[in-house]
Amino acid sequence: MNPAKNWFQSAVFYEVLVRGFYDGNGDGTGDLAGLTSKLDYLQWLGVDCLWLLPFYQSPLRDGGYDISDFWTILPEYGDLADAVELIEEAHKRGIRIIADLVMNHTSDQHPWFQESRLDRTNAKADWYVWHDDDQLYDEARIIFVDTEKSNWTFDSQRGQYYWHRFFSHQPDLNYDNPEVAETMIDVCRYWLDIGLDGFRLDAVPYLFEREGTNCENLPETHEYLRRLRKEVDSLYPGRVLLAEANQWPEDVVHYFGNDDECQMCFHFPVMPRMFMAVRREQRYPITEILARTPEIPPGCQWGIFLRNHDELTLEMVTDEERDYMWAEYAKDPRMKRNIGIGRRLAPLVDNDRRVAELLHALLFSFPGSPILYYGDEIAMGDNIYLGDRDGVRTPMQWSPDRNAGFSTADFAQLYLPPLMDPVYGYQAVNVEAQMRNPSSFLHWMKRMLEVRRQHPVFGKGTFEVLTLENPSVLAYVRTLEEPDRPAQEGGIVKTGPDIVLCVCNLSKLAQPAELPLQKWEGKVPIELMGRVPFPRIGELPYFITLAPYSFYWFELVDPPGGA
Amino acid sequence: MLSEWPPELTAALPDHLAGQRWYAGAEAPAPESVRVASSRRLWSGGDRHELWQALVLAGEDCYQLILGVRPAGEPAEFLHGHDTALVGVTDGVYVYDATWDSELAKVLLEVITGGEEKPERARPMTAEQSNTSLVYDERVILKVFRRLQPGRNPDVEVTTALAAAGFTHVAAPVVEWRDEQYDLAFGQQFLAGGTEGWALALTSLRDLYSNSDRSVPAEAGGDFGAEAGRLGLVTAEMHAAMHQVFGAAGADRARAGWEALLDGLPSRLERAAERTGRDLLHAAGPMLERMRAVTDPGPAFRVHGDYHLGQVMRTDMGWYVLDFEGEPARPVEQRLAPASPIKDVTGMLRSFHYASRYALVERAVAEWSHMIPTARAWESHNRQAFLDGYLGHPGIAHLLPDPAVSPAVMVAYELDKALYELEYELSFRPEWVAIPLDALERLVEGKDQTSD
Repeated sequence: MNPAKNWFQSAVFYEVLVRGFYDGNGDGTGDLAGLTSKLDYLQWLGVDCLWLLPFYQSPLRDGGYDISDFWTILPEYGDLADAVELIEEAHKRGIRIIADLVMNHTSDQHPWFQESRLDRTNAKADWYVWHDDDQLYDEARIIFVDTEKSNWTFDSQRGQYYWHRFFSHQPDLNYDNPEVAETMIDVCRYWLDIGLDGFRLDAVPYLFEREGTNCENLPETHEYLRRLRKEVDSLYPGRVLLAEANQWPEDVVHYFGNDDECQMCFHFPVMPRMFMAVRREQRYPITEILARTPEIPPGCQWGIFLRNHDELTLEMVTDEERDYMWAEYAKDPRMKRNIGIGRRLAPLVDNDRRVAELLHALLFSFPGSPILYYGDEIAMGDNIYLGDRDGVRTPMQWSPDRNAGFSTADFAQLYLPPLMDPVYGYQAVNVEAQMRNPSSFLHWMKRMLEVRRQHPVFGKGTFEVLTLENPSVLAYVRTLEEPDRPAQEGGIVKTGPDIVLCVCNLSKLAQPAELPLQKWEGKVPIELMGRVPFPRIGELPYFITLAPYSFYWFELVDPPGGA
Repeated sequence: MLSEWPPELTAALPDHLAGQRWYAGAEAPAPESVRVASSRRLWSGGDRHELWQALVLAGEDCYQLILGVRPAGEPAEFLHGHDTALVGVTDGVYVYDATWDSELAKVLLEVITGGEEKPERARPMTAEQSNTSLVYDERVILKVFRRLQPGRNPDVEVTTALAAAGFTHVAAPVVEWRDEQYDLAFGQQFLAGGTEGWALALTSLRDLYSNSDRSVPAEAGGDFGAEAGRLGLVTAEMHAAMHQVFGAAGADRARAGWEALLDGLPSRLERAAERTGRDLLHAAGPMLERMRAVTDPGPAFRVHGDYHLGQVMRTDMGWYVLDFEGEPARPVEQRLAPASPIKDVTGMLRSFHYASRYALVERAVAEWSHMIPTARAWESHNRQAFLDGYLGHPGIAHLLPDPAVSPAVMVAYELDKALYELEYELSFRPEWVAIPLDALERLVEGKDQTSD
């Protein structure tokens, strides 16, 4: 494992749906033991850290984000011993593991809430946010507009309303109660003691409520995160807190604090912008969002992704862009989910491998740590007829065998049916076949991750967009002055700054570009996938041609024998 | 190296001038003789190189040369492929256009900013016609004026005034370089990452034209509509700012300008008809009548004057407006004359037509006929989007003619622009004549600009 304290700055994350990854006990549902048995695959692929969706006891009315016991593993997934074994085996392979933790709310089945709702005087009476009417905090928006009418729901047992920012079966915890605040830190300690390498903190902006505000991003919430971070830094150095705050980058950046809150935050808006740039065949959707992305503290990092278990997040784009994304990708109304679109990457790009490769090349070379979604490495499809967000949560397709090699259970017992259509079905798309085929998407992905690992500049370097006349070409230079290079065995020991030039053609048509590279005059670009040297950079603009949807990554090096 | 201007070099100047893109009309013959009105050394690098400025009179025109001097010998790498940059060799030195020499180009900025700017790199912009622009560190762009006009250069004047008035869609001024008579150069913030609107429009059109299955511009991947809408809004903001800064001309002056425009149309149409063999004047009769009936053409004030997709730049901060110099082929007093903002609006609308046809001409002739409806659809879609954006600005209505006469004013300015284009193309690019001619025929027949 990369021993550096800031390992997450150059890591590649892989989001795993335990339920859908591999069924170790043949009951039709993926489990922790199943995931453990597939760690060799993940090590082969070259990911650094797994992100597990919630694995706690839950009635599963919201994919496990409705936790009913923070101390217990969901029995379908296994038990504590399975979790310990998974973590140990992953660490042996140099892979870290972080897990989702929902701080903001619990399931209404949680014993805390069951007790709290009994009356107004019990020991947990003040653990949730209760009020006599539903008018308090009326400036807070409703997030799940499709299903919820209010952030308050009446509980007839207690005769009061309780506060919930998400579903009505997910009451918000009351962080103004010191017992709640302390207990949730105990929860974190418990799982860090077991060996988790950090948490993805779900829905962090909403921990506290104050009248007269929109109840998001309150100072008290930041104060609490600082307290949590302090705890982690003193007792568990090297563990990471990744904040989910689906907001504009200039607002999200506050969750880094002064590198004393979360070390990582998701960068949400860059993702739909990547899709839009390819669609529009011009770079501005991307460059304007990166231009308005503020600097972050040196020890921190963005988390960036193309797809995840949720819908293509459109909360962050303007109305006009949202309409456009809908018109473009959601010709079928079933694909509309809240303010987003539930599709996997491959169907989103009409299964065009060139586009899928281009988008990954952008993802791997943008400022931030890339987060892959399970199955996207083999270009899995989705099943939009499964309802809610299950369409992108079908079983991982391991082989052309029964149940996609995911489970030995009866087909009818599977938590969801695997894909079986002629294009994306497991007969056509699976790990086994792609591992045997050196030109498969899976092998391409593995190679990209290898190349990325050799260049810490992708994680930590500066980012400079070049000015080009051709709007369809996006070119940028990543620079790291003092790279901490991976140890080399034999070969040439490199010194000096790590400089990588990325050139991408966002158009379906071939394109030329004249790159203003005078700043790097005298250096030789070496293409990173094949190590082919290109002509030396001279005083004039550097001319390059690009096939449709193609990209190049060049390392800029001094020529042998000096410039 | 040079103590004064070597007279023997003066003889080489006519040919040198004729070889420059910024010389009066690219195809114009070399001037018979020139006179060096002034010359001075701007900077000396000892025995290695020097930077000079020379103002050269050729007939009525005054041209600015920025020259480098280096010891004779092998010319430097930067002159490879730019033979016309060399003025001549004399007395152990060679003299050349210094804007190609990145070292001296850096010195130039340093000299004219009095040492405030010390750039690390300089590069010339390659696409330019009438001036020479240098980019420094991808941060500052210096426009060196070539054909000098006495008095304030309109671009410098307008840009600095708009920037001072808080209009944020012009590149911020960095330095003005002038002498008693002329504006010599103008440095501005370089719009890093920017692309000309023209290139962006062509990207959209190429995407549309290469689609095999779809010809609805609003549904095409490369749709330009949202960009056109934002551009319309910025245009309205520009007009509001120009109105605020320069004020409106009196109603008499506005009417006089309008009447001058109308008075010129019949003879220009006649001339166009003669040169193209189309009966434009006869068909235009009813339309000219309608224009004549307009007594109040609305407010007139200083406008951009040569507004088209090549004068706007898309950046990460939205659209920027460039080059407030007016149409280069018109005399200065016409360029600065107050006009209705409709003049700029129609300029941009004409540009959408040009782009849609330009991208068509790139393709095989066999495709043209069945693609013309697609071209029209793109033009129509983006015209509408631009106008929606423009008219959506809350302060624009009182700067425009009364809605009842607006269509006639618009057609008049569009006709004016199309005639200007036709005259220009007949003189310089006969192969493009079909584009303004297409517009003229639609205009005089009173057809909507985007119907077939």
